[in-house]
Amino acid sequence: MSPLLTIDDLSVTFARAGLLSRLVNPFPLPSFNVIDGVTLSLMPGETLGLVGESGSGKTTLARTILGLVRAAAGRIVFEGRDVRTPADFRAMRRRSAMMFQDPVASLSPRLRIGTLLTEPQIIQGLPMPDRRAVAKALLALVGLPASFVDRFPHELSGGQARRVGVARALAMKPHLLLADEPTAGLDVSVQGDVLNLIGDLKRELGFAAMIVTHNLAMIRHVSDRLAIMYLGRLVEAGPTQDVFCAPMHPYTATLIQSEPIPDPRRRSQNPAVTGEIPSVFRRPSGCEFHTRCPIARDRCKTEAPTYRPMGTDRMVRCHFPLQTGGQEREAFSRASANQKGKLT
Amino acid sequence: MSGSLAASDLSVRYETPHGSVHALRHVDIEAHPGEVIGIVGESGCGKSTLVTALANLLPANARVDGSIRYNGIDLAKLDARRQRLLRGDEIALVSQDPMTAFNPVLTIGDQLVDFQHHRKDLGRAQKRARIAAMLGRVGIADAELRMDCYPHELSGGMRQRVAIAAALLTDPGLLIADEPTTALDVTMEAQIIHLLRALRSEYNGIIIVVSHNLGVIAELCDRVYVMYAGEVVEGGEVDAIFHDARHPYTQALLACDPARFHERLDRLPTIPGSLPNLTQPPSGCVYAPRCACAFAPCGSVAPPLVKLSASHRARCHAVTP
Repeated sequence: MSPLLTIDDLSVTFARAGLLSRLVNPFPLPSFNVIDGVTLSLMPGETLGLVGESGSGKTTLARTILGLVRAAAGRIVFEGRDVRTPADFRAMRRRSAMMFQDPVASLSPRLRIGTLLTEPQIIQGLPMPDRRAVAKALLALVGLPASFVDRFPHELSGGQARRVGVARALAMKPHLLLADEPTAGLDVSVQGDVLNLIGDLKRELGFAAMIVTHNLAMIRHVSDRLAIMYLGRLVEAGPTQDVFCAPMHPYTATLIQSEPIPDPRRRSQNPAVTGEIPSVFRRPSGCEFHTRCPIARDRCKTEAPTYRPMGTDRMVRCHFPLQTGGQEREAFSRASANQKGKLT
Repeated sequence: MSGSLAASDLSVRYETPHGSVHALRHVDIEAHPGEVIGIVGESGCGKSTLVTALANLLPANARVDGSIRYNGIDLAKLDARRQRLLRGDEIALVSQDPMTAFNPVLTIGDQLVDFQHHRKDLGRAQKRARIAAMLGRVGIADAELRMDCYPHELSGGMRQRVAIAAALLTDPGLLIADEPTTALDVTMEAQIIHLLRALRSEYNGIIIVVSHNLGVIAELCDRVYVMYAGEVVEGGEVDAIFHDARHPYTQALLACDPARFHERLDRLPTIPGSLPNLTQPPSGCVYAPRCACAFAPCGSVAPPLVKLSASHRARCHAVTP
């Protein structure tokens, strides 16, 4: 089976200076890469979780895939065709959809839900004899009452707005759904609702999904594969269960360890990682994680590791990946237990 | 100075053009020096109303019944001037996003000097020395340099550390942290949790942590109150709440947290239904419409607060000691 979406060595560059200073200054400042050499593929019907801290470039990557941000280098192949020109992206967006992070802000406040739900068809120029009926069918799909067609976005709760977001994303029957933080700001009892809904519709309609999130506890249950981003680069990818059970990159391992456990009998002893995510303006030399890595060695400070395959379906960007029973894994658990003195 | 805090039969309602919203009803909580108290619940459960009531910062349309006794003084009956003095001196608040708590046009150092306005015995230089020491204490490197930074120059985690330092500078007897890690990434969250835990060993006032994140509560607190729709439905030692939850809402809330399951779930558990309308709170149990084990009296008779052990209480008809 050929992949639905392939991203090959994709980079996104933001110019550092603002427009005005670029006009005034004849010697432009160097630009910097927010996304750097990302290679990913997504099979039809698969769910990929894209995980990283804020500032790691996960939202930018999702927006670049749909052409909302222009890529500086690399290839995007969707359903076997290269996507390059704006016309290609328009064609691609007809068969893919994005759920934006803030569900209420992404609904125009002065339009009724019915109008908002049918806007995609109007924009794509599809024939639609009865707009209200289409809107009602979409509301029924996501389990909202038909009376919602006449409501305004501010009359909805967070969970309901999220459902409208799902309905609108699925209005065009996409083959690919990009969901940017679909559960941000939702209570745990409602977040399950939205994810179950996406899961049910995925089984029913058979689209592939890419879920951008920093919520590890949630993504563990809803994704087939995971890709972990750090400073605009992928550091690890693999099947979700494998990554959670045996993370190979120390960053992935620290992320999993940092997650607070809702059990007072298993309180974490020490923070797995200290310090903060560095700025993309000043990327650390060598391996970018060496400034926070508990098992960094001299080689990590000078030589950047390549993103290489490990086994059949794992990828990792690390000189000394943690392997089951290997000495790096032992060193990691020792090091993260020894950090107590460092913090304060 | 630190003393115990006790709110008894505390009710707060907001007068709005659409009628009164009964945001808090008959809440009893208590906290003793040296304890970390967790208040957990979903949005709309009244956690923020409760802590704003404790800090005496409710808006003008709020009507308070019941009493909040801190150190033997009833806070609700104090005049405005005494309340203000108490806030600067005894009660400190760390908010969810400290960016909004700091003044963007003053440096961190200047603002932290102002936080110590009640320390008339200290000069400016002494105050700055205290700040540097406190910033170092909360894990900020180069404290002297950071004092000349503006809030926007710090990252979210750093700002939260500065906010905690600011709160501690006033030597409060009651420190309220309202969603202290919600705006942070998970690696920063772990560091702030450890910071708060390290601080409590040398701080002997009361810390109240408000959060919707069960993991944060489990990591930090000694005792927990679970709130739903303006009522405390269950309270007890953290271990009792997480391992012997008796109220159906607590049980459902714990069951919803995906962090508790390591095996992949096909469907995530949820709580069906929605919050009751708090302009007309139901006469029976507030959770009855969503409760899986509701029976005859739940819809009409308000459930009693059942004492399960020395500190464990649940407000439910179905619970027996």
